[in-house]
Amino acid sequence: MKIEILFPEFCNLFGDMYNMKYLKMCIPDAEFIETALEEEPAFVKEDVNLIYLGPMTENTQEKVIARLLPYKERILELIEKNVVFLFTGNAIEVLGKYIENEDGSKIDGLGIFDVYAKRDMFHRHNSYLIGTYEDIEVIGFKSQFTMMYGDNSKTPFIEVEKGIGINKDSKIEGIKKNNFIGTYLIGPLLILNPLFTKKILEMLGVNNEVALKEDTMSAYEARIRELRKL
Amino acid sequence: MKKGFKFYIALWGAKFGTMLLKLFRRNATFFPGKFALKVCPDFIGKIEKPRTIIAVTGTNGKTTVCNMIEDILKDNNYVFIDNKYGSNIDAGITTTLISGANLMGKAKKDLAVLEVDERSAPKVYPYLTPTYLVCTNLFRDSLMRNAHTEFISGILTKYIPKETTLILNGDDLIASNIAPENKRIYFGIDRLQTDSEKCENIARDIIACPKCNTKLVYDYVRYNHIGKAHCPKCDFKSPEIDYLATNIDLKNMKLTLKNGSLEEEYDLISDNIINIYNIVTVITVLKQIGLSQKQINESLKKQKIVDTRYSEEGVNGIKIITHLAKGMNPIACSRVFDYVRKYKGNKVVILFLDDLHEAANGSENIAWQYDTDYEFLNNDSIKQIIIAGARYLDGYVRLQMAGIDKAKISCQRDEMSALDNIKLDGIETVFILHDLYSMELKESAKKKVEVMIRTKIENKA
Repeated sequence: MKIEILFPEFCNLFGDMYNMKYLKMCIPDAEFIETALEEEPAFVKEDVNLIYLGPMTENTQEKVIARLLPYKERILELIEKNVVFLFTGNAIEVLGKYIENEDGSKIDGLGIFDVYAKRDMFHRHNSYLIGTYEDIEVIGFKSQFTMMYGDNSKTPFIEVEKGIGINKDSKIEGIKKNNFIGTYLIGPLLILNPLFTKKILEMLGVNNEVALKEDTMSAYEARIRELRKL
Repeated sequence: MKKGFKFYIALWGAKFGTMLLKLFRRNATFFPGKFALKVCPDFIGKIEKPRTIIAVTGTNGKTTVCNMIEDILKDNNYVFIDNKYGSNIDAGITTTLISGANLMGKAKKDLAVLEVDERSAPKVYPYLTPTYLVCTNLFRDSLMRNAHTEFISGILTKYIPKETTLILNGDDLIASNIAPENKRIYFGIDRLQTDSEKCENIARDIIACPKCNTKLVYDYVRYNHIGKAHCPKCDFKSPEIDYLATNIDLKNMKLTLKNGSLEEEYDLISDNIINIYNIVTVITVLKQIGLSQKQINESLKKQKIVDTRYSEEGVNGIKIITHLAKGMNPIACSRVFDYVRKYKGNKVVILFLDDLHEAANGSENIAWQYDTDYEFLNNDSIKQIIIAGARYLDGYVRLQMAGIDKAKISCQRDEMSALDNIKLDGIETVFILHDLYSMELKESAKKKVEVMIRTKIENKA
């Protein structure tokens, strides 16, 4: 089992790296590869089981796009081959058509998904989310300067019950295509959502229970009750 | 800038409002400024300001630094205006400027010391040019408000006036690079025995070179991204320090400050690295505006770190230490956790870190906990950790993620009831770590722990 963390020296905001630490606790024998921005990603030449990209600064997005652009076809191939991807926070924007600044200028993305993002650096959006993914409830936090636009209804990740989807008018959060999952949710997503982590383990073909199951479930259930009251 | 009718309405209205608020014994440190800005949005630009303005910004330490600068100046008979009791955003700063001006909007004093929130830069600096702008440090802070350090350093660089002289933490590769075209003075602390070559912290906001993306080589790391580093590929590196603290002598509580060929000795009033940075910052600022070593040090010796942030009390041989650990601020919390683990003797640690405002609104984004070094609490000298409050279940998971044995953790929703689980046998210090908005809770908890210690001793007797 190989799990590749892309560019952790840059893409490490909002505590998201603990998603990988938690995954390591869930799959102790997995090999974790940390690829620096200046290095060629491992997924280019070898098979990896999961590719993770965390949230990053706006400048870093441009660096990451430049780094991944030569591997666009390979990424598409891996998505078709059902390799698991987990892109959190604004990482998903890298794979969209473009990111638009307030002044109308655009930064081209990889164009893998038919969506685009608009930045508003003067207004930060913060919210909670509760929604449904397959047969489970997913909870999470959003904290972002951007909103995403385009049609993600054919590749939905979460149907939102409370909170917003990819933008304030949307009730569909993120993108799920085959085993690619991209979501604006930030922070310890897997720790907050033991049931969703279990789904990831299943996608990876691992039968393990999630780590700290009893206590993560207690926190998860308490948070669901709390968010429902909001 | 021409004043105009709106300005005078704003000024007189704010002054009248201040009078009324004071008459009713209400806090007049925010609303007069808010009113003035509502009536006259460029009010800060129009009101006459003191000739010398020292502004202090940065993620951590700005309040302490301001308080110390103000106390030392006062002790040396300087007269000035400040926002010590007011807010550090545009409305608070406006209120301070109004209180320091006469009815015609003329400045009554020649000097101002202003704490300025980093995010307020776009609303303040277009209208107010600090003579000196101190940046204590730039770390990841509340992610919901401040996003990330690149965003904050970006707005500072964009809005700081070109005429301002910067006084910057040269050990901080992010803070030291703001507004690169401005005149700058760096302060820093020389390599310490406790520095290492490897970073223990989770949050590191500059790991790779911002110019060429190559991983930086740290000559030494103090904490997070504080230390000395260089890029192995290009010319990006830590700056040469103008005011360098050397010979940090914690036994005799002294430090030496080197500025060129000049070496001066100062007293240390705290052994905490954060406060040592604050002291070095304060000395650098005061030297810059012309105070002598004697003037600074004689006053410095009288200073005490305000006890809303830190207090220490002995009860029947057991110390109770309360320490502010700002929730949602990963670095501030991590520094306190580091201090606790290194404090001598066996301890119990009580964590009241929930943001009560967020809790009152029904939930809290706890992503910050995973940028915070809870791992530092995984230490043999910490015998028990009590975690309580709305987020107790999340905290319980976080502590276990830090590798802390479940048997050491006691977690409960109700804060005061949670204290009943304290085990005092063999304990030398009880730490109560609390958020900024948990002052009352901290005081109640402190009293309860005092009673518990006294009862335990009486029962033994």
